Amino acid sequence: MASTTVKTEQHDQPPKEKVVEKVDYLNLPCPIPYEEIHREALMSLKPDVFEGFRFEFNKGLSPQFALTHSVSMGVTEIPSQSPETIKIPTAQYEFGANFMDPKLMLLGRVLTDGRLNARVKWDFTDNFSLKANALLVNEPHMSHGMFNFDYKGTDYRAQFQMGNGALFGANYIQSVSPHLSLGGEVFWAGQHRKSGIGYAARYNTDKMVATGQVASTGMVALGYVHKVSEKVKKFDFVHCLVWDFYDEFLRPFFKLQVSLASDFMYNYMSRDVTASAGYDYILRQARLRGKIDSNGCVSAFLEERLNMGLNFILSAELDHSKKDYKFGFGLTVGQ
Amino acid sequence: MANRARGRTGKGAPAEEASAMKKVKEWSNWTLKKAKVVVHYGFIPMVIIIGMNSDPKPQLYQLLTPV
Repeated sequence: MASTTVKTEQHDQPPKEKVVEKVDYLNLPCPIPYEEIHREALMSLKPDVFEGFRFEFNKGLSPQFALTHSVSMGVTEIPSQSPETIKIPTAQYEFGANFMDPKLMLLGRVLTDGRLNARVKWDFTDNFSLKANALLVNEPHMSHGMFNFDYKGTDYRAQFQMGNGALFGANYIQSVSPHLSLGGEVFWAGQHRKSGIGYAARYNTDKMVATGQVASTGMVALGYVHKVSEKVKKFDFVHCLVWDFYDEFLRPFFKLQVSLASDFMYNYMSRDVTASAGYDYILRQARLRGKIDSNGCVSAFLEERLNMGLNFILSAELDHSKKDYKFGFGLTVGQ
Repeated sequence: MANRARGRTGKGAPAEEASAMKKVKEWSNWTLKKAKVVVHYGFIPMVIIIGMNSDPKPQLYQLLTPV
């Protein structure tokens, strides 16, 4: 009986009010990297939709080292000038090896046609890190590679990039207040004789993230993500046994985290506008993402955990304006 | 021979610099091409070797069996 009264008291207490702290401008948090400024919007709105069948097997040989075998059968699209998209059915096998250490991350994937996708991230001190990203193909002059040198300061980050084709870039992002961070970038592409400058801003609180980015290439991108977390409504049970049962077995099924995201992209050189809105439901056993676009494109992506280490994936993308419908399903097996 | 060499020094300096730049470019192109081939064939074996030497050290048969 005493335990019942204690429990109801705890649930009846009002939530503690947040103490408003004076902002310490010398101790601002470190901002997120410049290239990840749209991270929440991208994760919610742009899942990896695919067409066909996909099977992935992830075999862990040690906590740091894993091999992946991936088979995909489907169609690949060739960009064409005519309004119809040209689709070519392909089947491929991809072998990958990952090595994840706190200081060094190596990721390599090789396809049956000889294409190698390699990523390296090496933190050689606490503040400096080197990242490299390469896509190597057998045909000459079609490979890309990019090196990034990052420096992480107390409340800023700076990065210098070097890529093939004489591509150089630098970006810098600084925390201006506990919620707001501003950044800028410059790049110079030698092969195409182009250079550009861009600015970005990100405002985030616990519940929402708003980002904006402008570049001299004509791109304007704005994004907004809002987190809505549903809590189970409290009921007044008489017996604590019933409450315990509810708490243990039924509450986890009702707890879900929802993110609502919207995105606006505008290119002022080519006058191309795209607005999209979507949701991201993170449930205990599944993750469902859906999005609708101003180009008449509706897409959904479901990842469901069937068992420990077994994930089932369903993907659908309906492009009503181009009359292009893509459906895919897949299975991921991994320890 | 020496006269010819000396006669060329007037125009020789910028031409030599240009050919030195060309040599540097050719040499860097050659190294990039070789480096690309090395990375293309050797990256995944290198990751596998580093992974097999990490601790706890996995056995060789685990690399090949599906389970």
